[in-house]
Amino acid sequence: MFIAPLSRDELKKIIGYRKLESAEFLVELEKIHLGYKIVIEAKGTVDDVEIFSFPRPERLLVNNWQSWGPTRVIDRNFELNFPKDLIEKFGFSASIMPEKYFSTLISDYFIASDNFVLGALSSKVGHPYFELDKEYVHVKLRYFGKTFNEWTKLESFVVLFINPDVGLPHYVDLVAKESGANYKRQNPVGWSSWYQYFLDFDYNKMLSDLNLSNGYGYEVFQIDDAWEKDIGDWEANDKFPELDVLASKIKEHGYIPGIWLAPFSVAETSKLYKEHPDWVVKDKDGKPVVAYENWNKKIYALDTTNPEAKEWLKNLFVNLKNAGFDYFKIDFLFAGAIQGERYDNVSPIEAYRTGMAVIRESVGDSFILGCGAPLLPSVGYVDGMRISADTAPYWDVNGPDIGYPNAYYALRNVITRSFMNNVLWWNDPDCLMLRRQETQLTDEQRKLYSYVSMMLDNMIIQSDNLSLDIDKELWKSVLNYKKNGRRIFKVEGILSGEYKITSCGLNGCDKLIIKDLKNVQFDVSFDKKRVSLIKSVEKREDGRTFNYYTEGSESEGLEGDAK
Amino acid sequence: MERRWSILTGEWILVSAYTQSRPTNPVNTCPLCPGGDEFSEDYDLASFDNKFPSMKLSAPDVESINEIFKKDKSNGQCEVVVYTVEHDSAMSLMPVHQIEKLVNMWVDRYLDLSQHPSIKYVYIFENRGREVGATLPHPHGQLYAFPFLPKRIESKLNALSKYYDENGRCGICDVVHEELNHKERIIYENESFVAVVPFYARWPYEVHVYPKRHVSSIVELENEERHLLAKVLKVVTMKYDLLFQQAFPYMMMLFQAPVNDVRYNHAFHFHIEFNPVKRDKDKIKWMASVETGTWAFINPKIPEEAAKELRNVEVVV
Repeated sequence: MFIAPLSRDELKKIIGYRKLESAEFLVELEKIHLGYKIVIEAKGTVDDVEIFSFPRPERLLVNNWQSWGPTRVIDRNFELNFPKDLIEKFGFSASIMPEKYFSTLISDYFIASDNFVLGALSSKVGHPYFELDKEYVHVKLRYFGKTFNEWTKLESFVVLFINPDVGLPHYVDLVAKESGANYKRQNPVGWSSWYQYFLDFDYNKMLSDLNLSNGYGYEVFQIDDAWEKDIGDWEANDKFPELDVLASKIKEHGYIPGIWLAPFSVAETSKLYKEHPDWVVKDKDGKPVVAYENWNKKIYALDTTNPEAKEWLKNLFVNLKNAGFDYFKIDFLFAGAIQGERYDNVSPIEAYRTGMAVIRESVGDSFILGCGAPLLPSVGYVDGMRISADTAPYWDVNGPDIGYPNAYYALRNVITRSFMNNVLWWNDPDCLMLRRQETQLTDEQRKLYSYVSMMLDNMIIQSDNLSLDIDKELWKSVLNYKKNGRRIFKVEGILSGEYKITSCGLNGCDKLIIKDLKNVQFDVSFDKKRVSLIKSVEKREDGRTFNYYTEGSESEGLEGDAK
Repeated sequence: MERRWSILTGEWILVSAYTQSRPTNPVNTCPLCPGGDEFSEDYDLASFDNKFPSMKLSAPDVESINEIFKKDKSNGQCEVVVYTVEHDSAMSLMPVHQIEKLVNMWVDRYLDLSQHPSIKYVYIFENRGREVGATLPHPHGQLYAFPFLPKRIESKLNALSKYYDENGRCGICDVVHEELNHKERIIYENESFVAVVPFYARWPYEVHVYPKRHVSSIVELENEERHLLAKVLKVVTMKYDLLFQQAFPYMMMLFQAPVNDVRYNHAFHFHIEFNPVKRDKDKIKWMASVETGTWAFINPKIPEEAAKELRNVEVVV
C-alpha cells in the first residue's frame, strides 16, 4: 500500500483488509492526540510484511535496534559503508537482520523527519522496522515466520505529525505505557573499571581504587569484564578471589557491589559450551549460530527457551545476588535475540524477553543496567540502559559511525536518544573519564561529556584509576548538580544537529548550546541563583515525613548539601 | 482509605474516614506555630504529611466488589505546606522574598513527588478563609499528589490537547497573546507573568495568572521568573485584601502538567487560578445546585468590570 505524502488524509488509505504472503491482515486507525495509532491484526503465517510505504523525506532521523547503534540524521545521499572486515565480527550486533542490514538502509523501531515521528509502540513478539530505498520509506513488521491460528494483534505503530523535538518525547511516553516501562526511580552514581583498565584489571587494582575512592560520593562500585574465567563460565578467575569476598570488600567501603556479565553469550572455548552444546541457538542444519565475534573468539547465543539453560540462567543470577551483588551490568544482550532454531518455537524477540524475565525474577529489585541490548524488547526489564556506543579515551570524528567505541559518537547518541531517559529507563551515557593522564580527551571534551550527562539527568558512572591526576573540580560540580534532585529537560535541534539543552530543577534552568559537536563548540549558562534553600528531612515516630526548608548562604545552598 | 469509581461520571472519589477527625478552627493553640502540635521548634518553611490524609503512598490494597463497584487504593500523598512561621501573616502580607522561597519549595515538592511512579498529578493549592473551609488561620497551603488524573484536570488536558490538534499551538499561549493585545481584563503584569480576570471567569473576581512564555510546570521557570511569580502572587492577594478592605477568602490552585507523563508538555501551559467566593463585600457566591450538579457556572459579575475594579486597586510592592 503506497501513500503520498505521509499525511493525516492519505493515511486513511491504509485502513482495511488485505491478504499478503501467507497471512490475512486487518489495519485500523485510531485517532490520538497529534496523529494516529495504527492497529494491525493478522491471521496466518507472518514473516516479513510491509504495512505501507510513503515518499522518503529529504532528511530522516534513523535508529539502530540496540544500545550501541547510531541514532543519527541522514540525507538522501547517505550510504552505510560498513567496513567489510567488520561485518562478520559484528554479526547480529549490527542488526537483528544481518542478512539485510549491510545491503539495505534500515531504521529500527522509529523514524522521524521535520514534521513527523513514526514509531512502533512495542517489540514483544515481532520486530518493527523501516526499510529505505532512494525514493520510499517502507513500514515493515518482521515476525520470523510466526503462525497465528486466530486473529492476533501485532505490534502497533503511531504517527505523530509534529516536530521531533516535541514528537519524540511524546512518542516514547506512548511506548512506555504500551510496553509497560517499570524501573527503579533512583539512578545511581558510581564507579566502573572498564574505561581505565579494560581487560587488564585485577583484585589489587580494585583494592587500590576502593581505597582511594573516599570522598567521590559513589553509591555503586562495579567491576567490569576481566573477572570471569570465560564468556559463559561466570566464575572468578585467578586474578580475583571468590565473588562473595569481592562483594564483601566493596560493601566494606559502603558501596553497592556491581558486576558485569554477558549472560546470553557463550564462547566457543567455554566449559559451558563444551558441556552443553545443545543450550545454544542453532541454524537449520543444527550448527551453532555465531552471534558475534569478540575476545578473539566466536560467541554463540544461549537458547533462553531451553528449560535446562533457563534453570542455569536463573541459578547464575540467584548465586550472584547471594554472593552480595545488587547491581548488574548485563552486556551483549542482543545475543539473546538472534535468529535461529531454539528449543521452543518462538520468535527471537519472545526468546529474548523470556531470558530477560528470568533475570529480572532472579535478582528481584536489584538494579539492572542493560547494554548491547535491543531497545524496545527490553522495556519493563531494565532500570538503566546504555543508549550509545562505548565511549573511549579519544574523540575520533573520522572513525566509523557503526557502534564502535568513540566518545564523539557516544555523546551524539546520548543527545539523540535523550528523550528515552526517565520514561523507559535511566539512560546510561556511558562512563565519565575525568583523568588528565592516559587519555587523549581534551579538557573541553571531558567537560562537554560531563555537562550533557548531568543536565540530561542521566546515570553518572566514573571510570578512572583514582591514583591518576583526576579533574576533581569537574567531578565535584557533577555531584553537586545531582544533589539538586530530579530535572526536567528539553532538547531542541535533534534534526539540525545544533543542539540546545534546557535543564530545569531546584537550582533553576540551565542552558547548554552545542553549536558544533564534532569540534566541541558549546556555550553553557547556569541560571543565576536568587534563593538558596537548605532542605532537611525529619521522619516522625508516627511515620510522617516533615520536609524543612531554610534559607542558606550562596555557598551552603542545596548545591553541596545532601538531599 | 480507598478510592471508588463512579460509573455515573467516570471519576474517582476519595473515601477517607481520617478527614472527619480534622480540627475545626482550634481556638487556643495553633498547631502550625512553634510549640504547637506539629512543631516543637522554630522553622522557616515546611511541607509535611497531613495528619488527616485522604491518600497515603503506603495506602492499603483494596479489592473491588465487582465491575460496577470498582475500588482502588488511595496511594497518593497529602501534605500541609507551611509558608512561614509568622502566624498572623498571609501571602498578601509576606515579603516577596518569602514567597519566592515558597515557589522554590513547591518546585522541590513537585520533583520529589514525581519520583513515585504511582503519582500522576501533583496539585498545589491554598484555601484561605472560613468561607472556603480553611480550618487553620496560620498561612499555609496544601498539596495533593494524586495516583490518577482528577476529572477537571482531565478536562483541561483534553481541551488544550484538542485545541493544539486543531490549531497547532498551545491554547493558553494564544489566550495570553489576546489578553496582552486587548488589555481590558489585565489587572497586573510584569516581564514574565500576566494576571487577568479571564474572559471565561466562573467566579466573580476570579483571577488567572499566566506565564507569558510556554512552560508546563513551575520547574521550567528560571530563577528570575520564580521571583516574578512570587511578585505577581503578592500583588494579586494584596489587591484582593484591599478590594473590600478585608482578608479576602479565596481558593488558589496551581495547574501544572501531569507527572510521569510527558505527553502534555507542549499543549499544557502552567497557570494559577484564584477562585474567590465573594461577589461583594458581604455577599457570597455559593457553589450551589447548578454549579455543583452541572458544572455550569453563572457568574454574576461581568469579568471586564471585575478586572477594572481590581486593576484600580493600587498596591506598592
